[in-house]
Amino acid sequence: MIRLPGIGLVKGMGLTLRRFFEPKATIRYPEVRLDVPHKFRGRLQLLYDEYGTLKCETCFQCAQACPIECIDMGGMDTKGRYHIHWGAPETYGERRDESALRRSGRPVPDQAYEHFDPVEPGPVDAILARHDHDPKHMLQILEETQAAYGHLPVGALKLISQKTGAWYAMIYGTASYYRHLRFEPPVAEPLAAATAEARSGRETAYLAGLETSLAGSGKALRARRSAGAKAVPGPGTKRRGTPPGAGPARA
Amino acid sequence: MARSWSRLTLAGKILFTVIPILFVLTVGLVLLIVLAGKPIVDFLAANIWLVRFVVAATAILLMSVPTAFLIIYMEMKVIALMNLRIGPDRVGPFGSLLSVVHGLKVLMKEDFSPTGADRLVFTLAPVAVFMATIMALLVIPFAPGLFGADMNIGLLYLFAVSGLTVVGLLMAGWSSFNKYSLLGGLRSAAQVISYEIPLTLSVVGLLLLAGTMSLNQIVLLQGPHLVNGVATGGWFTDWFVFRQPLGALIFFIAATAEANRTPFDLTEADSEIVAGFATEYSGMRFGFFFFAEYVNVFVVSGLIVTLFFGGWNAPFPWPWPVSVGFDPGSLGIGLLLLIAIVPVVGTLILAAPFFLARSSLPAWQAIVIGFVLFNLLAIVAIAGWAFISFDWVAGLLWFLGKSYVFVFTFVWMRGTLPRVRIDQLMGFAWKWLLPASLLNLFVTALAIVVVHPK
Repeated sequence: MIRLPGIGLVKGMGLTLRRFFEPKATIRYPEVRLDVPHKFRGRLQLLYDEYGTLKCETCFQCAQACPIECIDMGGMDTKGRYHIHWGAPETYGERRDESALRRSGRPVPDQAYEHFDPVEPGPVDAILARHDHDPKHMLQILEETQAAYGHLPVGALKLISQKTGAWYAMIYGTASYYRHLRFEPPVAEPLAAATAEARSGRETAYLAGLETSLAGSGKALRARRSAGAKAVPGPGTKRRGTPPGAGPARA
Repeated sequence: MARSWSRLTLAGKILFTVIPILFVLTVGLVLLIVLAGKPIVDFLAANIWLVRFVVAATAILLMSVPTAFLIIYMEMKVIALMNLRIGPDRVGPFGSLLSVVHGLKVLMKEDFSPTGADRLVFTLAPVAVFMATIMALLVIPFAPGLFGADMNIGLLYLFAVSGLTVVGLLMAGWSSFNKYSLLGGLRSAAQVISYEIPLTLSVVGLLLLAGTMSLNQIVLLQGPHLVNGVATGGWFTDWFVFRQPLGALIFFIAATAEANRTPFDLTEADSEIVAGFATEYSGMRFGFFFFAEYVNVFVVSGLIVTLFFGGWNAPFPWPWPVSVGFDPGSLGIGLLLLIAIVPVVGTLILAAPFFLARSSLPAWQAIVIGFVLFNLLAIVAIAGWAFISFDWVAGLLWFLGKSYVFVFTFVWMRGTLPRVRIDQLMGFAWKWLLPASLLNLFVTALAIVVVHPK
């Protein structure tokens, strides 16, 4: 492309001249009205009944229907017991269920609660008594707890937190920092041994096969490699045009 | 008195003022004619230039109003269409009266002068700008025989007068007591003075070819003219643009800058220095600046057409004026009868199909339609007759048509091009346009010496 001085001006003028004849984007509003989009719900409005009471009963249907999740609301439930203020819009669905539960008088589950199995508190009490309930000895406490239970159950950690006054998060952080502390019971030994044995068996077989082929036709193999290097893409080269799943399956 | 005045409607107020004035004027004029008619007519006959000057000035002032309105409307509409918008479409057919409404709005706004402004200069600045533009319009030949003044230094006068614009802009910028205004004024001074030089030099080559500065003569040279007693030419190849292409290009660019149009509209760069010299202006004073700007666009377009595109000459040999071989006076009393009968008969004939075809149409509506149609036909017939019979009608149409092509180009450029920076503007004028115009001048002079050695 030869760059003539002033060619840009000509191009720009041509563009505007083309635009001049193109159909226009304006809609003459009061005369011409577009069809209302399917999901259009009109202006948001809080309605009052004839006694001057808000008609909204915080059912969150509007919040759930809102395509851009812009609706947030707070209010009292029908028994006037709780003042509820609603939080993140991601939780509208769950919270609507919660509101229904509360209105029916049944207990409302705590969303943040995670179930953990109870532990026998005896060993923990003994360990803590030995260390005088001192959070500074947390590593020793945790090691001894693991020795007692085989791993660190959540119940035991909660118990330690309760007894020593250290935050659960700090105890968890300490426990997760050290490699030798674990939160799950250890994997059964025989299984691991069996897999290791199987793997080593396959490996030795492969190496032996390689050895024999190299000893038998080393020259031929090398020649085949150099000839096929151009046609067959190696593992390091980028494959173009083939989707990621289309290549040879990974080992 | 004051109470009854306030009770009048708007139309009543206007009539109440205008009718006495008209009455006094009529009586005064009649008395003047009766008492001193002969000497006045003799004086005017002896000094026909005075009559011509007054008529020309009035006509040009009057035509500048619709011209400016039309160009403002064009600007709004064309740029809107280029932006894929519709633009004005509310007032009048296709919104064509919007600029009139703008004018009325501007008239009704408060006329405000800022504290610290130099009142006298502040008030005179729009007048200076407007007068410079209108005076430039005075020498442009619109049609054969239709021009304000055929000066033998017409082009020189034009450059001198259009240079006066910058005085008005500087006055506005300085007297506003505002840094934006001052910046705009200084920019405009620098810009207009810089571009005045290539503008003038680009035409000198043309002047060498034409041998005259009279715009009327320059137009005549581009049309059919006598060579050794034989009428020749009349084709568009006689236009000076083909003998001075570089000069025409330089003139076009410099004229854009001279008229403060995009991409050289630094004078009133709205996005940078608010509105430049016009920042502190409001009401009709502001209106005058814009009025002058748009009239200036027309002046520049007309000048380009006059100098380089044949003025009012048609691009091909124009067979008209043809005298229609019919003298209405020969009909005698029949003419009067014709004038009385033809409109009525024509209206009825044109109304008949509507009345007969649609039985639901009342007779009076059919007659109204027929009347309107007859008037339209009559206007078309009279315009066609004038177009054929008078060369100035065709010439005026050609001139206006060509001018509005260039007006459209200016608007088109405004819809397309971004504004240049001030240093680019100056660099372009001094480093490119000036050498190019000098080159054009020397090449032209050389060609004349080679082709016609004396």
